[in-house]
Amino acid sequence: MNLDQALETFFAEARELLQAMEDALLASDDADSAEDNVNAIFRAAHTIKGSAGLFGLDGIVAFTHVLESVLDRVRAGELGLDADLTSLLLSCRDQLCALVELAAQGIAEPDVATATAGADLVQRLSGYLGGESVPVKATAQVAQPAARSDQVHWHVSVRFGRDTLRNGMDPVSFVRYLATLGELVHVETIATGLPEAAAMDPETCYLGFEIGLRTAVTRERIEDVFVFVKDDCDLRVLGPGNTADDYVQLIRSMPDEDTRLGEILVSCGSLSRESLDLALEQQSVAPKGMAHPLGEILVQRGTVEPKVVEAGLEKQRQTRERRTQEGQSVRVDATKLDQLIDLVGELVIAGSSVGMIGQKAGISELNEAVSTLARLVEGVRDRALQLRMVQIGGTFNRFKRVVHDVSRELGKDIDLLISGEDTELDKTVVEQINDPLTHLVRNSIDHGIESAAERATRGKPAKGTVRLNAYHDSGNIVIEVSDDGGGLKRERILAKAVERGLIAPEQTLSDSEVYDLIFEPGFSTAAAVTNLSGRGVGLDVVKRNVAALRGSIEVNSDEGKGTSFKVHLPLTLAIIDGFLVRIADSTFVVPLDMVDECLEMERGLPPTGRDYLNVRGQVLPFVRLRDVFGVAGGSQLRQSIVVVKQAGKRFGLVVDTLLGEAQTVIKPLGKMFQGLKGISGSTILGDGKVALILDIPALVERVEHGETATLGKKDRLVA
Amino acid sequence: MAKTILIVDDSASLRQVVSIALKGAGYDVIEANDGKDALTKLNGTKIHLIISDVNMPNMDGITLVKEIKQLANYKFTPIIMLTTEAEESKKQAGQAAGAKAWVVKPFKPDQMLMAVSKLVLP
Repeated sequence: MNLDQALETFFAEARELLQAMEDALLASDDADSAEDNVNAIFRAAHTIKGSAGLFGLDGIVAFTHVLESVLDRVRAGELGLDADLTSLLLSCRDQLCALVELAAQGIAEPDVATATAGADLVQRLSGYLGGESVPVKATAQVAQPAARSDQVHWHVSVRFGRDTLRNGMDPVSFVRYLATLGELVHVETIATGLPEAAAMDPETCYLGFEIGLRTAVTRERIEDVFVFVKDDCDLRVLGPGNTADDYVQLIRSMPDEDTRLGEILVSCGSLSRESLDLALEQQSVAPKGMAHPLGEILVQRGTVEPKVVEAGLEKQRQTRERRTQEGQSVRVDATKLDQLIDLVGELVIAGSSVGMIGQKAGISELNEAVSTLARLVEGVRDRALQLRMVQIGGTFNRFKRVVHDVSRELGKDIDLLISGEDTELDKTVVEQINDPLTHLVRNSIDHGIESAAERATRGKPAKGTVRLNAYHDSGNIVIEVSDDGGGLKRERILAKAVERGLIAPEQTLSDSEVYDLIFEPGFSTAAAVTNLSGRGVGLDVVKRNVAALRGSIEVNSDEGKGTSFKVHLPLTLAIIDGFLVRIADSTFVVPLDMVDECLEMERGLPPTGRDYLNVRGQVLPFVRLRDVFGVAGGSQLRQSIVVVKQAGKRFGLVVDTLLGEAQTVIKPLGKMFQGLKGISGSTILGDGKVALILDIPALVERVEHGETATLGKKDRLVA
Repeated sequence: MAKTILIVDDSASLRQVVSIALKGAGYDVIEANDGKDALTKLNGTKIHLIISDVNMPNMDGITLVKEIKQLANYKFTPIIMLTTEAEESKKQAGQAAGAKAWVVKPFKPDQMLMAVSKLVLP
C-alpha cells in the first residue's frame, strides 16, 4: 500500500499538534482553562504516538510513550503542572519537533546530538513516573509465518456469553476468522442452551460451538481469536499437547445431550470420525453376541485412552439419568384423569346451580361473584379437557405401514401424504377412530386407486396418492381420507342399490344421496371380492363407529379424479355445549353445534302424517319428539321447532318449549339403556334433574326412513 | 457488497493509513474526525463495524459508544476502541459502555486488520 500521501498528512498533522501543544504549555499558568490545556497537551502527544506507530516511526513512538505516561499522571491530577515540569515538557515538545522533522526528511536514525538529548529527556521524565520504568511494549505481535509442515488437529470448544450479541459480536464471525488460520475440519453448533421459543430473547446469545481445526498456528493464536469475548465466554482449546485429563474435563463440561459414546468422543476431538467408523465396522462384523462394546474396541485399538472412554461413558450415563428425571411429560393413569374430568363436570353443574339460585334471589353481588367463578370453572374445565388431548399424528403415522403393506399386497404403487398431524383431539376419540380410519384407508387403496395401467390411460401418474389430513372446523375436528383414484361411479352404485332393493328403480336421487348409499349395510360394489374389503364388513360399520363417537361422515367424489371421506368428530366426548328444550315435564339436550335455527309454530303444526314444512321455500322434514319418546301431557298449543343440521341436511325437532343454552356434562347411559335409539347420553341439570341428550344422527335416520311411529314399548323411556 | 467500516479518530493521518489498509483488504471505509461527526455520519448508513479513538475533541470515544448503544439501528454494531497501555481505565470504561473489542495504540496496520477481521470479514 502506498503510504506516502498519508505520511505527508501525518507530518502536517504532527506540526499542527506540536504547535497546539506549545500554545497550551505556554498558557498553562492560566488557571481557568487548566484542564482544557492539559487535555490538549495530552491529546497531541497521544495522537502523534498513535499515528507514528502506524508508519513504523518507532523512535517517535518510544519517546512519546514516556511523555504520554507523564501527561496521563498530570491529567489524573497525580502531578501538578509546575514551572519545572512545564519547561521540561516544552523541551520534550521541541525534541518531538526535531524527531518529526528528521523523519520528514527521510532520516530514520536521529543524529547523535538529538539522540543524546532524547535520552536525557526520557531520564528526566522518568523522574516524574515515581521510579517505575515504563517500557514500550513490543508492538510486534504480527503473525509470524507458520511452519506449514506441522499442521495438527486442535479442538476448540466455545460457549459464548449471553451478552455476546448485545456487545456487537457475531459468534459466527469468530468461527469464520478461525477458518482463516487453518482448515475447519468439523463445526458442531451447540444449541442446547436455547430455551423454548416463548422464553427466547432474540438479543441473547445461546450458542456454542465444538470446532475441529487443522492448523499450524500456536495455541496462543487460536485463543487470541476469541480475545474480544474471552471475558464472558467459556473457551477451551485442546491440542496435541493435551493429556487425557484435559479431554476428561471437557467431556464433563459438555452439555447434556442424548448422544452415543462414539459421538461424544468425536465431538470433543479425542477421536476422529474415521477412527470411529473403523471401530464401528469392527464392532459390526463381529459375530452376534461376540461384539465388544465400542469403548473396549477403541481402547484395544489404542485409539483412545481408557480414561477418556470412561469419562465419555460416565457422561452418557449422567445424560440418560437426567433425561429420565426431567421427562417432558408426566404419565398419569387414565382413570385418574377421568375422575378429574368427572369432578370438573360436577363442578360445572354445581356452578350453574349456584348461578340459577343467585339469579332467582336477585342479589347482584352474588351474581357477580358467580360469574367470576363461572369463568374460572370454565378455564379449569378447558385445561382439564386439554389434558386428555393427544395429537393425531401418532395414529396417522401408523397408516404408513398399512399403506405400505396393503399396496404391496395389491401390487399398487401408492404414496401416503399426511398433514395436520399436530391436530389434537380427545384420547378416547383417537383410540376409537383407528378402526374406521383403517377401513377408509384400505377402501381408498382397494377401491379408490386404480391399477397402474388404468391410471396410465387416464393420464395420471403411475403412483397413486392417499391423503390423510386433520383440521379444526368450528368446534369440530375433521379427519379427511382422500385419494386420487377413480372416484365413485354413480351408475354402478345406483344399479347395485336397485338390485339390493335399497331404492326403487324410478327414484331420482341427488349425487350426495347416491354417495350416501355406500354406507348402507351389505353394500359393496367391488366387482371382485378381494382379501381386504368386500367381505360384507362394509362402510356401514365405519358409519356406525363414527356415529358412536357423536361424529358424522360425509363423502365427496369426482368421477375419474378421486374420492374424499370427511369424518367430522367432536373435540371431546366429556362435555358439550347443549341447547335445552322441554317436552311436557321432560328436558332434552340438543348438541348446540348441530342447532341451525329455531322456529316458532304460531299457526300450529300440520296434521299427523304430514311431517314436513315449507320454510322459506324449502322443504323441512321434521320429527315430533313427543311422539318419538312417547311423552304424555303438557300443552301442545305453542310448539317450536329446533332446526338441526346433520351431514349437510336440515331437519326439524318439534318441542314444547325452548330453554336455551347450557353446558352439559355427558354421563353415559347405563348398560341397560345403551341399545336405545335416539338418545346418546344423559346429563344432570343445575336443578338436579336428569336430561337426555338427543342422538341427532339416529333421529335423522328415523326421519329418512319414515319411522314416525313411537319407539317400541320396551324401548320407551319414561323421563 | 463490501462491508462498511466507520473510523473515528481526530488524526487525519491515522484515519488515512487505517483507511488504506482496510480498503486494501476489501472493506468500504467512512471517516469521521470526532464523536459528534461520527453520529452525523452514522445517520441511516449501514455500518458493519465502528473503530473509534478514545481521546477526541467535541465528543470523546466513551460518550460516542454510549450514544451508539442508544441507537436502535446501531446498538448491535461491533465497536473497536483504540486504547493505549497508559489508559487501562479508559479501556475498561469503553468495555463497560459496550465496546468489547480494542486495539492498543500504537498499532501496525496488520494488527488493525487482524482485529477487524475477527469481527467482520470483508
